[in-house]
Amino acid sequence: MREKIFEARDLEIQFNLRGRVLTAVRKASIELYSNETLAIVGESGSGKSVFTKSFLGMLDKNGYISGGSLLFEGQDLAQLKTEKEWLQIRGKKIAMVFQDPMTSLNPVKTIGEQIREVITWHFGTDKEEAAKEAVRLLGMVGIDNPEARYKQYPHEFSGGMRQRVVIATAIACRPKILICDEPTTALDVTVQAQILQLIRQLQKELGMSVVYITHDLGVVANVADRVSVMYAGQIIEYGLVHEIFKDPQHPYTKALLESLPQLSGRDRALHSIKGSPPNLYHEIKGDAFAPRNPHAMKIDFELEPPFFRVSETH
Amino acid sequence: MGRYYLSKLGQALITIVLVVLVVFTLLRFMPTTGYFSKEEYKEMTEVERNAYLRSIGVLDPTLVQLKNFVVKLFQGDLGRSITVYPKSPITEILADKVKYTVLLNIFSLILSYAAGLSLGVAMARYKGRLVDHLGTVYVVAIRSIPSIIILFFVQVGLSKLLDLPMMFYIDRPSSWILPVLSLSFSSIAGTAIWLRRYIVDEENRDYIKFARAKGLSQNYIMVRHVFRNAIVPIAINFPSDILLLISGGLITESLYSVPGMGGLLIQSIRALDNNLVQVLVLIFSTLSVFGVFLGDIFVSFVDPRIKLTADPQ
Repeated sequence: MREKIFEARDLEIQFNLRGRVLTAVRKASIELYSNETLAIVGESGSGKSVFTKSFLGMLDKNGYISGGSLLFEGQDLAQLKTEKEWLQIRGKKIAMVFQDPMTSLNPVKTIGEQIREVITWHFGTDKEEAAKEAVRLLGMVGIDNPEARYKQYPHEFSGGMRQRVVIATAIACRPKILICDEPTTALDVTVQAQILQLIRQLQKELGMSVVYITHDLGVVANVADRVSVMYAGQIIEYGLVHEIFKDPQHPYTKALLESLPQLSGRDRALHSIKGSPPNLYHEIKGDAFAPRNPHAMKIDFELEPPFFRVSETH
Repeated sequence: MGRYYLSKLGQALITIVLVVLVVFTLLRFMPTTGYFSKEEYKEMTEVERNAYLRSIGVLDPTLVQLKNFVVKLFQGDLGRSITVYPKSPITEILADKVKYTVLLNIFSLILSYAAGLSLGVAMARYKGRLVDHLGTVYVVAIRSIPSIIILFFVQVGLSKLLDLPMMFYIDRPSSWILPVLSLSFSSIAGTAIWLRRYIVDEENRDYIKFARAKGLSQNYIMVRHVFRNAIVPIAINFPSDILLLISGGLITESLYSVPGMGGLLIQSIRALDNNLVQVLVLIFSTLSVFGVFLGDIFVSFVDPRIKLTADPQ
């Protein structure tokens, strides 16, 4: 059966910005099950990147977890303090792939070296052994002629190839969880599909759980098992992917889906969500989305709406 | 690749030849009275003067003089000084002076890089904290206070404070300390502030963020990724620095009475010592041009992105 391997519970993350406190993530919770794919969707600034970065202890210096817990392998990651403790998790058990493959690799080191160093670092494998493993990884992510490619530098690779290298680096330690922060945004559409396909295939081979952070609902529909919708630092709705797409409950989710371009409706104006997300410096009263919601009721401005259980999973 | 080096080398040689030609020709327009001291000039008759000028070869047509200069050059004969050290072979003059200058500059170079790199790293590492602020004060002070004032205070103040000699003596190591320090102050500041800037730039790169996500420690990333990349633009100056070890510091050497190369070129220009001027110009321009050339080559080894090709694709 599905086994819960990771859970963020009521996580709150704050930033100190020149004496002011900004709450970027407000009591967000997710659950992640083995071998499944979770997508976190939300617009820019909704806190989805900050939220997932905290799973690796990679918040910027002025950010900190101010409440809630991150449960992973019987440990609460929110309590980890030192770099040493984090290094046991980061890159080894929970790995992350970033948006732009063009800039994710060090330009003056060979790509092989950059994969090799992770293996040597985490497992203390000797260099030759680790280099062999790195070559195998390159083969796994679909790079032809991996021995020769091992010795090349990032500028000798195309964007899609570099993203493959980045993925190879991320899976080098066979992590339990792979977090992909908009892994395909910087790539062109055909390459996007290949990369998504590759991640799915690796997920099956290695038995990983994958977390996608994206605002591309096309990607979500394509790869995700479950979806969490994030708005103004909160998870406002979560459920199986077909539940969210067919039967969205939260007005923000509805609005988000309505703003997808439809191939059929050629002469209709594209729907857009009016206004902009709330200022996170202030405490938010009521439903964070209410000011932008044309159907908001008076109560939405006063009380935070409770979660409703729509189905077992929604 | 090989072709690129050859064409660059060719360009470097042409530059040197042009510099020497221009200086050589210009010097021939100088009045010949400069070849005599006042007394000599008064004592000699017109005929004597001409005979002397002919004997040292300055009355020959410019092209003949040039030919003689080049031919002798390839025989290893740099000619003789005319007025600064009358009649002494230039090779001997230089051999004597170069050793002081080179020794002083080697120590200064080592100190500059050791201190400059450490300060730069420390400033970047503790950015916005005390070390960084102190370093910035140092750099701004060195850059904004005229160096002659700093050097003067070093000579007068530090020599009293540390009980060190105010003059340079070849056989007293303690007398080397202040000149070496004086030669290093400004290059320490330059190296430190640039390295700090390059490190801070590097630290904010996406690949450093990704390296962190790989679970590598801060120290490992600092040494293997950040410093490794930040040093590249600093390294390009390294070959020039080594080659130009022989050019002395004008002010420092005269403050401490170091019998070195510093000021020799200016001295010889003022004294109209054509032979000495053209030899020094030849040496300095050759070293500068080759320093840049070697810097390019050096960097292409340190940074694999730089591929040297004669025809860009």
